Amino acid sequence: MMPYSEELQGVFREVFDDDGIVLRPDMTAADFDGWDSLQHVTLMIAIETRFNVRFATAEISKLKNDGSTIGTMLEILGAKLGHP
Amino acid sequence: MTVCTFAFVFGVLTVATFFFRLPVGLRRWVFTLGSAAFVSLLVPNRASWVALGAFLVSGWATAHVVSRRRSGFVLAGYLAALLVVFVVLKKYAFLQFFVPRQILDHPIGIVGLSFMLFRQIHFVVDAAEGQIEPVPSLWIYLNYQLNLFTLLSGPIQRFNDFRAWWDNPVPLHQDRHDLFKAIWRVLTGVLLIAVVGSLFQKMSDRALTDFALVRPKDYLRIPIIFYTFPAYVFFNFAGYCEIVIGAASLFGLKLPENFNRPFFARNMIDYWMRWHITLSIWIRDYVFTPLFTALVRRRRESAQSFAMLCYFVALFLAGVWHGASLNFIVFGLLNGVGVAAAKLWETRILKSGGRAGLRSYLQSRRVRSVAMVANFHFACLTMMFFTPNLALAALAHLHGR
Repeated sequence: MMPYSEELQGVFREVFDDDGIVLRPDMTAADFDGWDSLQHVTLMIAIETRFNVRFATAEISKLKNDGSTIGTMLEILGAKLGHP
Repeated sequence: MTVCTFAFVFGVLTVATFFFRLPVGLRRWVFTLGSAAFVSLLVPNRASWVALGAFLVSGWATAHVVSRRRSGFVLAGYLAALLVVFVVLKKYAFLQFFVPRQILDHPIGIVGLSFMLFRQIHFVVDAAEGQIEPVPSLWIYLNYQLNLFTLLSGPIQRFNDFRAWWDNPVPLHQDRHDLFKAIWRVLTGVLLIAVVGSLFQKMSDRALTDFALVRPKDYLRIPIIFYTFPAYVFFNFAGYCEIVIGAASLFGLKLPENFNRPFFARNMIDYWMRWHITLSIWIRDYVFTPLFTALVRRRRESAQSFAMLCYFVALFLAGVWHGASLNFIVFGLLNGVGVAAAKLWETRILKSGGRAGLRSYLQSRRVRSVAMVANFHFACLTMMFFTPNLALAALAHLHGR
């Protein structure tokens, strides 16, 4: 996992109100109860605020689509934070 | 010209037999010629050609401008102007109160304009956000917009997916089995429209005419209309999607899926992720998300209220987009109420039972079955407003009484 993955996990726990969440790169939206469009946007805004980044419309969409994983999110976030 | 015709299916299957025997450059030309021939059958006059050209070139040019110099003002101004042009070209009924009749009597008719609008907004917004780099040539953009497989009614394909195919148009199917499955998919689409959809349409039309004009007290016609009209709409559109997705795949072009058993949805949020999926995702990305994000960034503590508002606005606009008559406004309102209610219900469960409560609620088979039946009927109810005919028939019936 990347250096900021623990911080990301903290954001997930806060947004989903579940302290038991442990992120793995292969997890998808289906692994979280109630991850719908609204929860997704709420999560994106929380990540933007926490890491001081901005997601483009296409990136927000990509992270909600089938096949997208926590690994995808870490990659996009990593690129924005300058961690290849 | 529609896709459920002998000319379209025979033409597409014939060209597919030799498409991949051609050099790559020639494949693109054949695709362009096919799309050009298809479009030429749909554009009725010179004024429509000029309007179509101006509409598309404006999007491409704006994408170039906003990708070089990111200006929210230019982007917002262009999108507002594009929407105004769109409603004038589509002659939305409410315009008669604001726009001179001479303008609304224009002879322009562009089939598939609504879907071009969706693709154009996506293209310009994504170019402005640096997600389409480099902005393509006008030639590629026109091929994207006028793609014969998505021109009429989608699915709404994203530009980068189209460009990946355009840059490297190679076969999608690895063996004969896959190839036959794709051909079978096209033929299934034809059967869904010409046989199944057509049957439900006839049943619905007959019941509607009978109830409105012939036997106004025969209330048994109401459930027939209630179930057969949504079935007609579903099989007709799903059949269209089967044809174009199957046909495009024969040319190596993978189009996004548009349906996933919508009548098995557990609520209206789930329903819209299964019915006309590419439209739902487009609305989520370009209406719901920007609106909700903008509001929540200002007042985070009101997120829940803003969510209801944004769900409602997004689905209301989706309804109105289908047409400007009163029935589509009701269609949009009902869908807006449906998704907002689904979210409120989920929030209530979450508040009373926490995450564990929500999990057991979502996993309960009994709850799922009841929810599916209830949602199916609500979805059918919204469909009663999907055509002006049903509203008119109801009025005729009331008048007859």
